[in-house]
Amino acid sequence: MTLRVLYLPAALLLLGVLSIGPACASIPGDLFDAGNTAYEDGRFEEAVTSYEKILQYGLHDPRVHYNLGNAYFKMRRLGSAILHYERALRLDPSDGDVRENLIFARGQIRDRIPEPEMPYPIRAFTTVLGRSSLALVTVIFLIFYLATGALVGALGVYRSLATRRVLGYVTVSLGLCAALSGAALYYTVMRMTAEEAIVVEDRIDVRSGPARDNTVLFSVHEGTRVEIRNRLDGWIQVSLPNALSGWVPDTGIEQV
Amino acid sequence: MNRQGTRRSVCSRSLRWILVGILACASGMSWTSAQAAEVRASVDRTRIRLGDSLTLTIEVAGGGSDRVAAPDISKLSDFEIARGPVRSHRFQFVNGVSSSSVTYQYVLVPRREGTLSVPPLRLLVRGRMVATQRIRVEVLPRGSAPPRPRAPAPGVQQDRRLRSRGTREAPSIDDVRVLAEVDTSSVFVGQQVTLAVMLVSRQELLGLAPKDSPTFPGFWAEEIKLPENYNAEQILIDGVPHIRYTLMKRALFPTNAGTLTIPPVTYQIQIKRRSRDPIESFFFTPVETIVRGSSPIAVEVAPLPTESRPADFSGAVGRFDLSVVADRTTSSVNDAIGLEVRIAGVGNLRTISEAPLPELTDFKEFTPKVTEQMRIRGDRLLGEKSWDYVLIPLAPGEQTIPSITFSFFDPAAGEYRTVGSQPITIQVARGDGAPGSPYTPVAQSDVRQLRQDIHYIKLAPDGLRDRSRPFYRSPVFLVILLLPVAADVGIFAAAFRRERRHANSRLRRERRARSIARRRLKDARKLLTPHSSRAFYASVAQALTEYVADKFDTAASGLTHQRIEELLSSHGAPDDLKDSYHRCLEACDYARFAPTSSSEEEMKRTSRVAEEMLVALERSLTK
Repeated sequence: MTLRVLYLPAALLLLGVLSIGPACASIPGDLFDAGNTAYEDGRFEEAVTSYEKILQYGLHDPRVHYNLGNAYFKMRRLGSAILHYERALRLDPSDGDVRENLIFARGQIRDRIPEPEMPYPIRAFTTVLGRSSLALVTVIFLIFYLATGALVGALGVYRSLATRRVLGYVTVSLGLCAALSGAALYYTVMRMTAEEAIVVEDRIDVRSGPARDNTVLFSVHEGTRVEIRNRLDGWIQVSLPNALSGWVPDTGIEQV
Repeated sequence: MNRQGTRRSVCSRSLRWILVGILACASGMSWTSAQAAEVRASVDRTRIRLGDSLTLTIEVAGGGSDRVAAPDISKLSDFEIARGPVRSHRFQFVNGVSSSSVTYQYVLVPRREGTLSVPPLRLLVRGRMVATQRIRVEVLPRGSAPPRPRAPAPGVQQDRRLRSRGTREAPSIDDVRVLAEVDTSSVFVGQQVTLAVMLVSRQELLGLAPKDSPTFPGFWAEEIKLPENYNAEQILIDGVPHIRYTLMKRALFPTNAGTLTIPPVTYQIQIKRRSRDPIESFFFTPVETIVRGSSPIAVEVAPLPTESRPADFSGAVGRFDLSVVADRTTSSVNDAIGLEVRIAGVGNLRTISEAPLPELTDFKEFTPKVTEQMRIRGDRLLGEKSWDYVLIPLAPGEQTIPSITFSFFDPAAGEYRTVGSQPITIQVARGDGAPGSPYTPVAQSDVRQLRQDIHYIKLAPDGLRDRSRPFYRSPVFLVILLLPVAADVGIFAAAFRRERRHANSRLRRERRARSIARRRLKDARKLLTPHSSRAFYASVAQALTEYVADKFDTAASGLTHQRIEELLSSHGAPDDLKDSYHRCLEACDYARFAPTSSSEEEMKRTSRVAEEMLVALERSLTK
């Protein structure tokens, strides 16, 4: 009798868990489909609402950010569109659609800030890395790293001088590859975690200090990307690629 | 003789009187010419409107008029000289009295309104400087009522014959007017304004020419051709018959918005001048040149509305029709088709430069032949522009030339209109596709992007995944990073331990090498009997060989004499010691395999040598 009393709540609990699990899993998917349907029908505000709810679940899929950027772009909210394209690109740098939409959207912004010129080898290196996903760079690094570790261990096992010489050469080569891929992984991580923000208001005055009474140094417009350097009491110190720097209120920009 | 002398005296007397008469006439003429020259300046009118002209006449009468220089008109600042000077010389001989005069005539146009004056003009008559009197002229504003003739002022010519002729007023040069009219003074940009310049006169015109070539800043002007006779027609103004000539017509198209001004158009008109001289009037046609100009006309030009402006609007204003005709609707690949796009209607089509045909993907198009034709009908400019395209189908099947549209602004309705054509379907065959016939090369063209837009949204058939937590932040990544390090550390620790253990065994063997060798020699000495000499030498050789093997941690079985010598040399053993060692081993080998047994003394000596050699080797190898 006692056992039966215990079995009933346990069975109900198990049933509840089994029923809640699929429901939770399907909500973001349903929202995603609803957002896509609204987008197809030209109801871009509803699409934005659906996509934003998915992000509130903590589900950061690059396709959600990409579609959200598209919806914002159709609503002519250029800053928000570029913000979500940037986020989608950070999550999946290998997606060409995101990259091309971002370039197209950047062509619509008012500010033209020249990027600093880089020598060819560095530019080629960063271009290749910029289109490689973090997972790919991580896997390549781990392969070289583990292979190097295995060969180092083999050096401790084999006593023959000839074998050890061959092992030594291969180990050094793989070690260099591991170091190079490690640097690439480091660069990719730094790039994807860089503190950058997008201007989401039509125009922001950049001031010389974190207060309204400071001098307006210059203005930036919606969609411009800035680098975050410091934060202080609701103000953010930002800098541009052309070395211009100043403080803006944190309501005017949104971090990528 | 006397009669002859009397006749000669009468002749000489009459000849004298003739000479006196001639001299008297000559003296009379010279007296006349010596009179003081009279200089008069006069104008035909003293009240005129701005834009009209007057004639200034300077007459030098009297003696010395044949030696008159042209007057100095540099001080004539209030007037512009439209024509002149025209110099005429008149000589009269009436009742034995001669007179002559020289006349200079100028046609003057006032520069401004108000009371202007012709200043005293100086001229040189027979070396004397003579000045005319000042003449005042009243200039009325442009477009004011025609000035009435006033009382004659000093210096104003009066035709008394005409005034005394009677009731009917003779035509005046004030009746000659140039008028400019526009059909509308409020238009849109690009809408036609028709300008007509007319001349109204009661007089017969003898000549007519534009003073300057007319310009119309802010307008695109098209000439409207007129008949040769200037469309002369008779009209009544205040009951008085006038003749109206249409001098010029222009179709003007404003290019900018705002208030634009059509500047005055000025003509030089030659009319018949009234002459006081009946002989001149009878035999000649006295001509007077006057200048008349129209009044400027302001035109209000409204801009084209920006709202609801079609995207393909190219600036055409008027009313147009569009026709698109293909010369055939069936063709084959690479077989050219002619397509004519024609726009025609009322309005100026010269501003349209872009071809209206959109990009066609399945046709290769060549640069069209553009034909433009403008003509005037009923003072309206009719435009017709056509583009003749040559299209080459690139792919077989049913290809469609899409609808072609053309947008223009209709000023009458005040709105934009778009006319379009129906799509034209072309059935394109594969060409000469007979079996075995060679394929004709296809004219390929680059695929060009027509417009740009963002890529479409993405779907997620495999479900959504959170990718905000990268793998490098997971503990597994850290474990994988530490795994080879830990494994390598373990491997190297094991190898170190093994090496260390091995090193210990070698050291122990090396240390025990001499004691073992001495023990073996001691055992060998137990065999110091002749019948066991072979066993003795074998033991001694084994003791020596195994000593080296133990000392160098190697196997004794593979040690040859040569290898032993190499090992000893590598560790710095002296040569004499190596030789002794070598000889001892050879002696042992010789004694072991010799047919006769060795004596006990020889065996003891060998044992002692071996003992000493081991001592020496031990010293040498442990230095």
